[in-house]
Parts: sequence; structure tokens; C-alpha cells
Amino acid sequence: MYGFEHERGDSLDFYPCMKHKVIRKTVREFAEIEIGPIAHDIDQEARFPWEVIEKMRPMHFFGLQVPKEYGGADLDSISYAIVIEELSRVCAAIGLCVTVHNSVGLYPILKFGTEEQKRRFVPLLASGEIIGAFCITEANAGSDAGGVETHAVKDGNHYIVNGTKIFVTNGAICGAPLIFAVTNAKNSKKAASVFIVEKTTPGYSVGEIEDLCGMRANPVSSLFLEDCRVPEENLLMNLGDGLKIVLITLDTGRIGIAAQALGIAQAAFEASVRYSKERQQFRQPIGSFQTIQNMLADMATEIDAVRLLLYRACAYKDAGVTFSTEAAMAKLSCSTAASRVTSQAVQIHGGYGYSKEYDVERYFRDAKVTEIYEGTSEVQRMVIARAVLTKPS
Amino acid sequence: MKFVVCIKQVPAVSELPWDPQTGTLMRDLAEGMMNPACKHALEAAIQLKETLGGHITAITMGPPAAEEILHEAIAMGADKGVLLTDLRMAGGDTLVTSHTLGMAIAKVCPDFDLILCGCHTSDSETAQVGPQLAVELDVPSVAYVEHLKVLGTTLTMRRLADNFLETLEMDLPGLVTMTTKHYQPRYVSLGDLNDAFLAAEILILNADDLGLDPERIGIKGSATRIQNVYAPQAQKENVVLKGAVKHIVEELFARFGDRIAGAIGKDLDGRQ
Repeated sequence: MYGFEHERGDSLDFYPCMKHKVIRKTVREFAEIEIGPIAHDIDQEARFPWEVIEKMRPMHFFGLQVPKEYGGADLDSISYAIVIEELSRVCAAIGLCVTVHNSVGLYPILKFGTEEQKRRFVPLLASGEIIGAFCITEANAGSDAGGVETHAVKDGNHYIVNGTKIFVTNGAICGAPLIFAVTNAKNSKKAASVFIVEKTTPGYSVGEIEDLCGMRANPVSSLFLEDCRVPEENLLMNLGDGLKIVLITLDTGRIGIAAQALGIAQAAFEASVRYSKERQQFRQPIGSFQTIQNMLADMATEIDAVRLLLYRACAYKDAGVTFSTEAAMAKLSCSTAASRVTSQAVQIHGGYGYSKEYDVERYFRDAKVTEIYEGTSEVQRMVIARAVLTKPS
Repeated sequence: MKFVVCIKQVPAVSELPWDPQTGTLMRDLAEGMMNPACKHALEAAIQLKETLGGHITAITMGPPAAEEILHEAIAMGADKGVLLTDLRMAGGDTLVTSHTLGMAIAKVCPDFDLILCGCHTSDSETAQVGPQLAVELDVPSVAYVEHLKVLGTTLTMRRLADNFLETLEMDLPGLVTMTTKHYQPRYVSLGDLNDAFLAAEILILNADDLGLDPERIGIKGSATRIQNVYAPQAQKENVVLKGAVKHIVEELFARFGDRIAGAIGKDLDGRQ
């Protein structure tokens, strides 16, 4: 544990505990053996590898922080970050599937759901039998969740949901996504609610898979909801609690995306170190040139720094204290680092780095979106600035 | 059945840098992992336990950090872990290691039915500890076993020896050393791993707990001394073929055809 469980007097303990080391090793081995050999191809083919998901299910990848009684692994948040980091180090698109499923697809039901909702949905999600998703984004609503047009109208003991969600991560494969919809447009603070919508609901359909720059193995798509009759027992919390659910959920989601960005940066860094030792120019390895050494030193320092910010956010979460600002800082810094490090990795690889033959090209494409989804870097800065300015001086 | 599995923590990378001053491996640079053959031996024990029932004690000797492979073993399916750790035991050769393990097994699991070891470790490759341990405990042993079957108190084993497939029988209690051929270790679930750290039965013993004679442990008790350790000098002779592609291909097969045929397992003589 970082920062909280002081076993060595009053100093901060930066050394990873044995459990975290073994969890990292276990996930790394699995990812390198089972995902590594296909990571390049599934990106190129934009194919979601169900055969890997099959192997991941019994290993609890889909119920990382779910209590054992619901079939999960009951991990702490640093372990969670390590798992996402290690999956993303090999394949960011799988890391994305797992983190979105766990942090925003499943976690809200666990945190805000009724006992009946938990018993109905959590075991199915935690076992990976169904994949989760959270849908806020629409054509006219991104950072501003207030712009959402999808709406739900009460009809007897059902809600009739209509609208179109776009850029849904896990869109084409999710079984019971959470839908953020307007239920009372007149009350700005309590305008929206969140519904668990099963994909078998008549009127529910999946749009074309998006042709994206990166994360291509994840089937990101639109979801169409046409007169979907959603039973009222599928409403999460109370009517009008949508924004509250979103804000709390996103803090957790940001930890996951930060971990994903960190994993991508780590992969790009390792590839750069290897290449710097192998690649010869002017009859010596390029790693012997100070200009390359400077880049590697900067990459190493930045990765280490943002990793500490991430683990601090996780430690705060596990300690039960507010971690919203820390999660925003972790997400902002990890995603910025991922973009910078992967860009430098391409630079170190020269022409080969720009070729699809080398993995750094994939890392470069995958990194960019970590600055965009789960709150853009600009939104993270808003969150951080608000905390800074409201803090009593 | 009572199983004891001896496992060892080894460096996780195959090519560690050498310290040119001392001629030793710079182990500090590597993360530890469970030796692959030991992991296969553990998997074999778990599969036997799954069909026959029983109890598995995983035992390791090493620095305090070696405790992590015991947690891993428990996550895989072992019931109990035993760590033998003591600075006085450090630097021991295979003879004192076998003696120490023998004393520990006599203490923690004297009524064992089967001891399983990896056939060799990836960091020292001596393959001696298993068979020596059998001598220490005065039980029969078979090395390089691929497959196991238990019938009553008889163990039937299959192993490949000099390209012959042998089937052997041994009365229990006994000891086997396992290859990495048959028992592919399972992936542990993250939940089981978490549990193995939160609530695992791990016994930590030092030389005094085991009643070891100080003259028979560590470097002091070792019968062998390492004179020198060095990296093998691989001699690579690069041949560059030049000219037109057709000429290069013909030249390649003329000079190396037999080796290419051997590597791909095909007779290339009829290729014209």
C-alpha cells in the first residue's frame, strides 16, 4: 500500500507490497502469452478477440473489485490500477474493455444499486457473461452532460426511453449498458437519471462500429434506443440522481483510464529502450547518443511521476477519503504522459516507428484518446482548478 | 494423500547482466518468479489432489522475498506454505540445500506420501537437489518424470529417457522430479491470489527452528566451491552471400542445404 499503511515508522512507503508485485507479474504473464501474439493483428483487423475474453472470465478480470459474494476478486484499487496498466501495456483496447466494464459499467450498480439489482446484474457482469458499458455521450453532448437529449418518460411501471448514444466503448458487445437519460428537463440539477437497459429490450439496437484512430480492437459504436420499455426496477437510485451517479462514477473511471494511459506509456518506453540498444547508426547503438539518452531519461521520469500520482488516487479511494481531485490529476498527467512518451517513442524509432510493422505506431494512436475520453484534459483541469480555487487559503 | 512440493524462486529473466568484477549474476536487477519446472511439479500435485483428495505443503528456501512464490502456490491450490529463511543458510550448495529441505520436511510433514520437485532450476541447472533429498529422507526417487498416476500406494510414472518412453513403478512414499512436458500450470484467478495474501497459512522457519547443525548449512557446510563463473563465448561466423538473387539462393542451398533440410525436417535432394 502506498502512503497509508505505514509499517516503517512515519515515512511514506513507496515500495510496492508483495501482493501488488505478484498481481502485476500474474497479469503481465497472462497478457504477454495470451494477448501479445495477437495484439497487432486485432488492431489492424479491428477485431474483438472473444477467444481471449473466454480465458479472462475465470480469472476475475470482469469483477476486479466486486465482493466475493457476487463472484468477484475483491481487489483493492492499487491492484485494480496494476491490472489495467498491465493489460494496456500489451493491448490498450482490451485494457479499455476491462476498465470501462469494471469502473463505469459495473461499479455504479454495485455502489448505487438496490440489493435486487445487485443480485440480478452483478454476478452476470462480474463473471464476464455480460459486458458492461456506460452511455452519456451524444452527438450534441460530450463534456457538457447537460446537453443530453435521450429522454425517458414514465408509462405505468415502465419508462419509455428514446435517444441515440454515440462513441459507446464496448458498444457492440455490451449486454446491459447504463443509459444516462433526461427525466425532468425543468429541474436542471435533477434533470437526468440512469437506467440499466438490457440489450434484449425491444427497440434497442447497435449502430455501425466506429472507424477510429486507435483502440481499434474495441467495438466502439452507437446505440439506438427507440421506444425501449425499461421496467422501473431498472432505474438506478432515484429519479433525478443521474448527474450524481455520473460524477461519482467518473472519479473511479478516471483511475482506470489513467492506468490504461500509463500502461501504454510503459510499453512505448520499454520498446524505446530495447530499440536504443539494438539500432546501430554511425557504428554504435543509438542509445549511446546523448540526445536519445535525454529522451529516455525524460520518459522514465515522467512515467514514474505519473504512476505515483495514480497510486495516490487509488490509495485515497481505498482509504475512503475524497479522491476526486487526485483522480483528475492522475488522469490528466497519465494521459498527457502517454501522448508525449509515445510520440517520443516514434521519434526514437525513426521511420520504423511510423510503420505499422512496429508496435510504437499503435501505442502512438492508442495514447491520444486517453486525453479525450472519461473527461477531456480540459475537463480534468476544470475539476482540479475548481478544487484549488475553493480550497480555503 | 499428503504431498510436499519443493519450489524455488529464480530470476525472472533468462539473460541477466554479469558483474564483471565478481563473475556473478546481478540478481538484484531481476524480479523473482517460481522456477518453471517447480511450477509444473506443483500443478502435477494439484491435479493429483483434485482426483485423489489430500493436502499439499509447498516449501521453499531462500531470502524473505521468496515468500511471494508460496502465496502464488497457495493461490494455485497448495494448502500451506513453508519458508526456510536464515542468513546463515545463504550460499549453500545442493548438498546442504537437500539436507536443509530434508530436515524441514521431517519436521513439518514427516508422514508425506509423495514429494515433487522440479527436475532442475533455470538459474543453476544442477538437477541435484531432488534426488539428493530422496537420499536424505531415505525414500526411492525417479527423476525427469513427465506423467504421474497413483494406484493405492504405487506410483506409475512415464518419462522420456534417451528417446525411449519408460513406464516405471515406485512404492510410496517416494520422490519425483518433474519436467515441464505434461502439467501446464494453470493461470491463477486474481481473487484466489488476493485471498492467498490476505489469509494464507505460511510457516517461516530458521536454522534454529529446524535444529540444524551450523557446520552443515550455508557456505560453511557446502561440499563444493564454485571456482569460476563465466558467460560462454558464442562464436558466430557470419557469411554474406553477394550477387543476384538466383545466384544467392543457389549458393545458399549448395553450401547450407543439408543444415536447412535438417532444420525444417525435409529432404531437399529432390528439389530440382
